[in-house]
Amino acid sequence: MTNTKSIGQLLSRGILSENPIFKLALSMCPAVGISTTVMNGVMLGVAVFFVQVFSSVTISLFKDQIHPRIRIPSYTLTIATWVTVIDLVLAAYMPGAYAKMGIFVKLIVAFAIITMRLEMFACKEKVKDSFWDGVGMGLGFLVGMVAIGFVRELLGSGTILGYDVLGFKPLLFFILPCAGFFVVGLMMAFFNWIEVVYKQKRGVRS
Amino acid sequence: MKDIMSIVFRLTLTCLMAATVMGAAFIITNKAKKHNEHVREERTMYALLGYSESKPAPVSIVLHQIYRYIITEGEVQFVSYLIPTGSGKSGAADAYSLVSLDLQGKMVDQKPVAIDGEKIREREDRDKAVIAVAGPGKEVRFADHTIIVTDNGKRIAYLLGGKFPGFKTFIGVMLALDPQYTMVGMEILEHEEDPGLGAEIEQDYFKNQFQGKAFTTLKGLKVVKEPLPADYQQALEGGLAEADMAKVMEQYKEKDIYALTGATISSKSVTDGVKGMVKKFAYRLDSLDKVLKEQQIAVSF
Repeated sequence: MTNTKSIGQLLSRGILSENPIFKLALSMCPAVGISTTVMNGVMLGVAVFFVQVFSSVTISLFKDQIHPRIRIPSYTLTIATWVTVIDLVLAAYMPGAYAKMGIFVKLIVAFAIITMRLEMFACKEKVKDSFWDGVGMGLGFLVGMVAIGFVRELLGSGTILGYDVLGFKPLLFFILPCAGFFVVGLMMAFFNWIEVVYKQKRGVRS
Repeated sequence: MKDIMSIVFRLTLTCLMAATVMGAAFIITNKAKKHNEHVREERTMYALLGYSESKPAPVSIVLHQIYRYIITEGEVQFVSYLIPTGSGKSGAADAYSLVSLDLQGKMVDQKPVAIDGEKIREREDRDKAVIAVAGPGKEVRFADHTIIVTDNGKRIAYLLGGKFPGFKTFIGVMLALDPQYTMVGMEILEHEEDPGLGAEIEQDYFKNQFQGKAFTTLKGLKVVKEPLPADYQQALEGGLAEADMAKVMEQYKEKDIYALTGATISSKSVTDGVKGMVKKFAYRLDSLDKVLKEQQIAVSF
């Protein structure tokens, strides 16, 4: 892991080959719980994106000062600090969105994906690499949330971003929490299938 | 041992840094947050009066804030009202007076209060100004906040905020009354009742039951443990055409409040709380109006 990587590699890894939701299967609670609409997905995705980037950079900056025995408390404190800051900023400048998402923003402290990236990457690598890794992972989470939200909103309420596109409600089931599992599972399978097909094709060509 | 010292030192430092960052963020965002709360409160008020963003209130509508204080001096208690005495037009200079009444409703004194319209909203600044005016050796306690709504100088509604005990903790509400003390609307602002049971008090089919209840009905309002009639429920939730809705609401105007299933205590506390608030408000406003008229104090409402 010590060899230097290009920005593109770091980004694509977070979004595609190590996508937090579809590949690493981390932070599934929000993916299942609140991805009922595209807007919810975007909101939480953006919040997680900022927390991930800020925390990665912070930990990477102070990686030599962190005593190895208190790594996890330090990570948790860092994450909690940034979550609080984002929570305050949202409450102050986006009150409408905050009224809906407020409870979930506070939960970001416990998201496995952020701690995992700090432990796996940020505490070993350079600040610049950590930044791009954070951006990649944050975007990967955002993309995952939006994709799940898209499917669930379209099939559950027949709308996209609140606009009526189908004119009817196909399956109310998709807005219920249990449907989150089905959608995540199916999309995971879909992503893996694409990867397998892609690799096979490339294998045939070479 | 050296390890422990280092860990303690580093953790303390981390906590201090985290606290600094969070504190800075709080200081920066606090003003905007307070402003949002104020905007939300104002929106609730206008919504109760029947205005919304698509149907904004005309400029002739003015809200006059009245703050009630209890001032105790030894054994004697006074009820003091902080009232606006300016012209009431927006843009005109703000002027406020503290009018004190004794418990029999006789005026004790009237003193001008030096405070501006922005500061009066902040509880701390307001309390300080009232304490300064009341003089030393007196205990000053803030009681409640009422708003008188005027349209071209004519009173059209009263908005009163208040809190009363619910099943678990306090329930905060805002009521809108018309000048005859008939209930125009009610909004539940805060509560901690049980989700699915007592928390249903904030649903339309419960809170709208208070709508249109006249003062005489309100005074004797009770809770009945009967199922909510289907047509009434539809009307309360706005599921009927406007003409039908008015008819159904008229039909149930003098009926008691139908209790929520499984939450009789919450229903009863809201009903009793609202009843008490309206009754006390009507009494207090009548005595205040009488004094203002007798003493010929010019007020903006």
